[in-house]
Amino acid sequence: MKALSFDGSGMEYFKIWIVNVLLTIITLGLYHPWAKVRNNRYFYANSTLDGRNFEYHATGKQLFVGYLIAMTLFISYVIINQISPIGSLILVAVLFLAIPWLILKSMIFNMRMTSFSNVHFDFSGKLGRAYLNFFAYPITLYIGLVLITIAMTMSISVGGGLAVLLGLTFALGMIAFLVFSLAFIKKKNTEYFMDHSQYGQGEFKTDVSIKQFMMISLKTTGVAILVMLITGIIVSAGFSAMVGVDSLGAFGGANQNPELITERMMLLMPVLPIFYLCVIIASIFVIAYSITLNRNYVYANTKLDEDVTFSSTLKVLPLAWVLITNFLAVIVTLGLAFPWAKVRAARIMLENTQVNAEKGFDDYLMQKQSQTSSLGEQIGDAFDVDVGIGF
Amino acid sequence: MIYGKWYAKGSSAQSDAELQITGDSFVLKVKDGVSYRALLCTLDVGSRLGNVARKITLEDGSVFATQDNNAIDLAFKKQLRGKGFIHSLESRMHWVIVAFALTIISTIGFFKWGVPWASEKIAQALPHETNQLIASNTLEFLDKYIFKASELSEKQRQDIRLHFKSTVVPLGSTNDEIRYKLHFRLWDNGDLSIPNAFALPSGDIIVTDKFVQLCENQQEMDAVLLHEMGHIEYRHTLKTIIESTFVTVAVMMMVGDSNGVADMGVGLGSLLVSSNYSRGHESEADQFAFKHMLLAKLDPVAFSNIMNRMTDYMQTPADSTIKHKDNETGAEVLDYLSSHPSTKQRVEIARQYSECFRKGLTVCDITESKESAPSLK
Repeated sequence: MKALSFDGSGMEYFKIWIVNVLLTIITLGLYHPWAKVRNNRYFYANSTLDGRNFEYHATGKQLFVGYLIAMTLFISYVIINQISPIGSLILVAVLFLAIPWLILKSMIFNMRMTSFSNVHFDFSGKLGRAYLNFFAYPITLYIGLVLITIAMTMSISVGGGLAVLLGLTFALGMIAFLVFSLAFIKKKNTEYFMDHSQYGQGEFKTDVSIKQFMMISLKTTGVAILVMLITGIIVSAGFSAMVGVDSLGAFGGANQNPELITERMMLLMPVLPIFYLCVIIASIFVIAYSITLNRNYVYANTKLDEDVTFSSTLKVLPLAWVLITNFLAVIVTLGLAFPWAKVRAARIMLENTQVNAEKGFDDYLMQKQSQTSSLGEQIGDAFDVDVGIGF
Repeated sequence: MIYGKWYAKGSSAQSDAELQITGDSFVLKVKDGVSYRALLCTLDVGSRLGNVARKITLEDGSVFATQDNNAIDLAFKKQLRGKGFIHSLESRMHWVIVAFALTIISTIGFFKWGVPWASEKIAQALPHETNQLIASNTLEFLDKYIFKASELSEKQRQDIRLHFKSTVVPLGSTNDEIRYKLHFRLWDNGDLSIPNAFALPSGDIIVTDKFVQLCENQQEMDAVLLHEMGHIEYRHTLKTIIESTFVTVAVMMMVGDSNGVADMGVGLGSLLVSSNYSRGHESEADQFAFKHMLLAKLDPVAFSNIMNRMTDYMQTPADSTIKHKDNETGAEVLDYLSSHPSTKQRVEIARQYSECFRKGLTVCDITESKESAPSLK
C-alpha cells in the first residue's frame, strides 16, 4: 500500500492564482481557459505516487471555443431569467435534456486530458446509458414521489381513523422509496463512472451494492439530525442568553407589545450572522461525514484490472476540521486564503488515498485515442454540473 | 548534467536518465538503454509552472522529465523566449504584490464604477422597444396574483389622470417615445391596505388606493409620480437587469471552479453589491423628482411628508400612538442589505432641496454624499 501525496505549497499556488485572477480581470474574462489550464496543471502535476505524477494536457486554445459557447449560453440564461421566467424554464428544460450528453463529453475530455506516469486515462461510457442514469432514473424518482404524495393527500381526505393509518403507511412508503431510489441511482452512477474509466489498457471495475449505499444514507441522515439538534440547542441557548427567556415568549405572544419585539429583534441583528455561521459549520460537518463514508466505501470496492486495488483512509473529524477552517479562513480574508484552502483540501484527499499495485504500472501501455472537443466539459463547468468524481 | 526520468512513448515504465548539453546539441543517456544525440532544436520543452516536473518531448515521442527547472530554463533560454512570461510574473515577489494590489483595485473599481457605467451605456443604447418587451405581461401578472381592482371613485381617478397627463408628464418627460399611463389598484395584505407606487419600464405607473388616500395634497402625489417617472426616464429596470447580469457572470468567473461551500459567501457578496446599485437608483429617482419640482415651483418637502406618512402607517398598523425609537445599530446593518436608502436619508436630501426652494432657486447644488448627508447644512 502506498499513499498519494501532494507536493505543492499554498504560497507557490497563491502566486499562480493571483496572476490568474489579475489576467482574467484585465482581459475581461477571456483569459479564463488559460488560467484554468495552469490551475489544473499545478494540482495534477503535484499529485504524486511513488515518484510519478499526474499531468493535465488540455491547452487554453482547446478550451477557448467551448468556453465562449458556454459563456454565451450562460449570459443569455441570466438575461432571459430576469425578463421572462417562462423563457428561462424552457432554457433549463433544454439544458436538462442535454445534461447526460454534457456529462459524457466532459468525462471523455477530462479523462483523455489526464495522464499518470506518461500513460493517459480514457472513458468509454455510452450515450444511451448516460441518458438512463442522469435522465430516466431521476425523472422516475420524481414521478414516484409525486404519485405517492397524491395518494397520501387523497387518503387523508377520506377522514377518520382509516385516514391516519393510510397516511402513515404512505409516509413510511415514501421514505422507503426515497432511500431505496437514491441508493439505486448512486450505485448506477458510480458504476457508470468507474466501470467505463480506463487507464491505458487497464480497466476500472467497481463492485458496490444498493444495500451499502442505503446504510450510508441512513447513517448520514441520523448524523444530520443529531448535529442539527445540537446546533439548534446551542443557538437557542445563545438566543435566550442574549434577549432573556421572557421575551422569547413575547415573540410567540404576538402583538401585545410591538415595540418590545422590534427592540429585541434589533438587539439580535448583529449576532444573527453568528447563528447563521453555526448552521453553515454544522452543514459542513454533515457534508464531511457523507464524503468520508461514500468515498471510503467506493474506493475499497474498486479495482484496476485484477492487479491494482485502492483504499481511502479518510476520517470524518480531520476532514471536517480542514473544510470548516478553510471556510472560515476564506470568509475572514475575503477570499484571499482561497489558494491555501484549496491546497489543504487537495492534501488531505490525496494523503488518504492508497494504491496497492502488485506488479507496478509498467505493464500498461497507452491506447490510441482521437481528440475530442471540450465543449461538453466547458458547458458543464459554467452551469455547475456536478460530475462528482475525482481523485 | 541534468538528471531525470525517461519514458518510452506511451509507456509508464520509467528509467533513470541524464541529459548533457553542449552548445546547441545534446546527449541523453538512458540507464541500461538507448542514447540520443541530436540538436537542441529537435526537443519540445514545456513552459514552467511553479516547481512541478518539467517535460521535454523528444522527436520519437519519448519523454524526459526532470525536477531541475532552473537548469532547463538556463539551457533552453533561446527556445523558451516569450514562453516564460507568465512564470516570470509568478516567480517574482514584487510582481506578485503588484498583481495583488491591481487585482484588489480593479475588482473594487469594476463593481463600484465599471458595472454601473457600462450598464448605463448599454441601457441607453438599447431601443425603447426593449423596455416594452420587459414590461409586457408584468401588469397582467400582478393583477392576477397581487392586486385587486381599485375602489376609488371613477371621478377621483379621472381627476388624478387628467392632472398627471396635463401637468406632471410634460414636466418630467424628456423622451417622446415613452407613453405614460396611470393605473389604480387595490393592494390588500391581510387586513392591511398597502400604500405604494410602482413604475414599469414601458411608462405604466401603478398607484395603490391607500397611497392616494394618504396623500394630503396634490404636491405630495406629484412628488411620488415624478420619482416613478425618474425610474422610467433613467431606464432603471433595464439597468438593473444589465447590472445583475454583469455581477452574476463576473462572480461565476471568479469562483467558477471552487466548491459549493464558497458559494454561500459569494451569494451574500452579490446581494450586497446589487442592493448598493438599487439604492443608487432610488436616490437618482429622488433627485429627478426634486429637480423637476424646483423647476415647477413645488416645495420638495412634500416628498418627505408623504414618505414619512407612508412609513409611519406601515410601521404602526396596530397602535399609531407608539413612537418608534431609533435602533441605530440594527438599522445600520439593515441599511447595507436594503434595496432602498433609509427614509431618514431621503428625507434629509428632500429637506436640503426644500431649503433651495425657499430661497427661490430653481437649481440646487447638493454635494452627493449619502453617508454624510445629515451633517450638511
